[in-house]
Amino acid sequence: MKKESDEMGLELRGLKKILGGRVIIDDLDLRVEQGEMISLLGPSGCGKTTTLRMIAGFLTADAGQIMLAGKDVTQLGPDKRPSAMVFQNYALWPHMSAAKNVAYPLKIKGLSKVEINEKVEAALELVKLLHHKDSRPGQISGGEQQRVALARALVQEPDVLLLDEPLSNLDAKLREKVREDIRELQRRLGITTVIVTHDQEEALSISDRVAVMNSGRIEQFSSPQDLYRHPATEYVATFIGSLNRFEGELVDGQIRSGEGIVGIRPEDLVIAQNYIEGSHQGTVELVIPRGHFYEIVVRRHDGLFRAFMNENVPALGESVHVGIKKSLRYHNGKLVA
Amino acid sequence: MRSRKSTSTKRGFLVRKDEGPSLLGLAFSIPPLLLVLIFVGLPILIGLTFSLGFTSGPNRVVSLIGQQIHKKNHWWGTFAAYSDVIHDSRFLGDLGLTLFVTILSTILVILLSLSIALYQRLIGGKKSSLLVTLSIIPLFVPVVISAWAIHTFYGGDGFMRSFFSQFGINFPTLTSTPSAIVIGTVWTSLPFAILMISSGLQGIPDALIESAKDCGASPIRVITNILIPLAKTPIIIATSFTAIGILGSFTIPLFLGPNQPTMLGVEISNFFGSYNRPQQSLVMAFMVFMIASGIAIAYVWSNVKSARESGRI
Repeated sequence: MKKESDEMGLELRGLKKILGGRVIIDDLDLRVEQGEMISLLGPSGCGKTTTLRMIAGFLTADAGQIMLAGKDVTQLGPDKRPSAMVFQNYALWPHMSAAKNVAYPLKIKGLSKVEINEKVEAALELVKLLHHKDSRPGQISGGEQQRVALARALVQEPDVLLLDEPLSNLDAKLREKVREDIRELQRRLGITTVIVTHDQEEALSISDRVAVMNSGRIEQFSSPQDLYRHPATEYVATFIGSLNRFEGELVDGQIRSGEGIVGIRPEDLVIAQNYIEGSHQGTVELVIPRGHFYEIVVRRHDGLFRAFMNENVPALGESVHVGIKKSLRYHNGKLVA
Repeated sequence: MRSRKSTSTKRGFLVRKDEGPSLLGLAFSIPPLLLVLIFVGLPILIGLTFSLGFTSGPNRVVSLIGQQIHKKNHWWGTFAAYSDVIHDSRFLGDLGLTLFVTILSTILVILLSLSIALYQRLIGGKKSSLLVTLSIIPLFVPVVISAWAIHTFYGGDGFMRSFFSQFGINFPTLTSTPSAIVIGTVWTSLPFAILMISSGLQGIPDALIESAKDCGASPIRVITNILIPLAKTPIIIATSFTAIGILGSFTIPLFLGPNQPTMLGVEISNFFGSYNRPQQSLVMAFMVFMIASGIAIAYVWSNVKSARESGRI
């Protein structure tokens, strides 16, 4: 099903949306490669769902252009766009069986009964739910409903698959499983996919690239590794993962007063019992077991440092040396070094 | 019966016990049950026996006063009064008019209320809210007032005729015709149907409509495949209640309808009061009751079916 094409899977150019007099999306640009899976990540109200709804056609853009698989769809309604959406609450029609839900878009396309049956069975097989084809949505679990919704979207063979917080209604264990299923299916089908989520773990683990959004703009659009290791803005650095954040500058391994922000990832700290080069002494204030590792909070004369350790964990109140392997420096919110 | 988990508390009289249904619960249900039995069940039974020619006991006085009273000639009674009514051409005309008005008005009421409720659900905005508000105003106007208002509007010397005569058009006089009854019943039945159907449609989540659009459904398909099936229960309730209400209507056909044929509600009153034929009027009442029961059975059957489909029972 993967399309061999030089076209972009999805392209947003200067997208803008104003709702109730408030600018929700402001001059947003985004280019998603064909077959790529990306996440729109951000807190509530950052505009990620509005962006997705504009891509799907449920909201019209006040300015800008939306290209799906090389076609300008900005003025088209959702029924005319080559995209399919999986809704947050699945949005399965309760009066139809799983098979009828999946068959509905094919029926609209006017396919023959034989073709519909074949495609529906293949789609349900794909999500491993063929045995539930006659069940109604109310008779199956949340995870299964999610998979039926996914089958209904996939059976349309869309150019772009849109997923709106698809895992938010599932419990933690099931979330992980469905997440893996979605990723595996997406890879297999090579379908351009946009997933909206506020859960950074979900975004980082499922996506080829993640667009971190803030107040209607994309702060950074990079691979999960790049986002974590080289956050372009202070906002991204604090939003993705944990960060020791200090106001001032880093001089000789110490935080000194000055302009800018210093950010240090917990794993970029070295905690040692004896002096190591560039380290400074501090006292362990907190030891929090986190399962397979410990979170240690050390107070130094220049501030509180949070680090992760999994061996030689110091005791509470113990005196240790804290060294800094790597730091990030931000000025006016932007990465400096 | 599956035993319930005991929720034993110190307030003993509220405790749900493991062993079977609570006596207290049964005691609570007895007064309304008795009320229905005495004030609804008993009169129906007395009426049924009178229509079958049982003229003694509680039926004695009415059978002494009434004319053309048939007394029972079998242990189970007689169908003579039923035969009177069925062979009366006047009754057949009344029945025809009653069914015609009921079916036509119900269809019009449901179509109108569905259109207004769908407009509100799919388009929304201030105009649709105003439309819904305007359409429920008749709910607060007594039927007798609205009947009179329609009379002054569509009567021989009413507004419509006066207005159109200014342009040389002879607008027909609608009062004392079945059309006026239909206009009146639609006007009075519309608010309830709109409230019922509108609340049903408003309860359907946006996502269910959007997902249909996303699958390529046109607005007509969204309405026929998604909205109407999902609002089936309130539509059926509105349809059956409207039909039963119109079937037994009295004031509107009395004020606006023709003298002959007239609707059964008016004819029952005529037979009982004006013609002093209580037994025949009761027979007619039973026939109306049978038709209403048929509608009620269809309503219950549909509810059970929809509950079964959605896995509630």
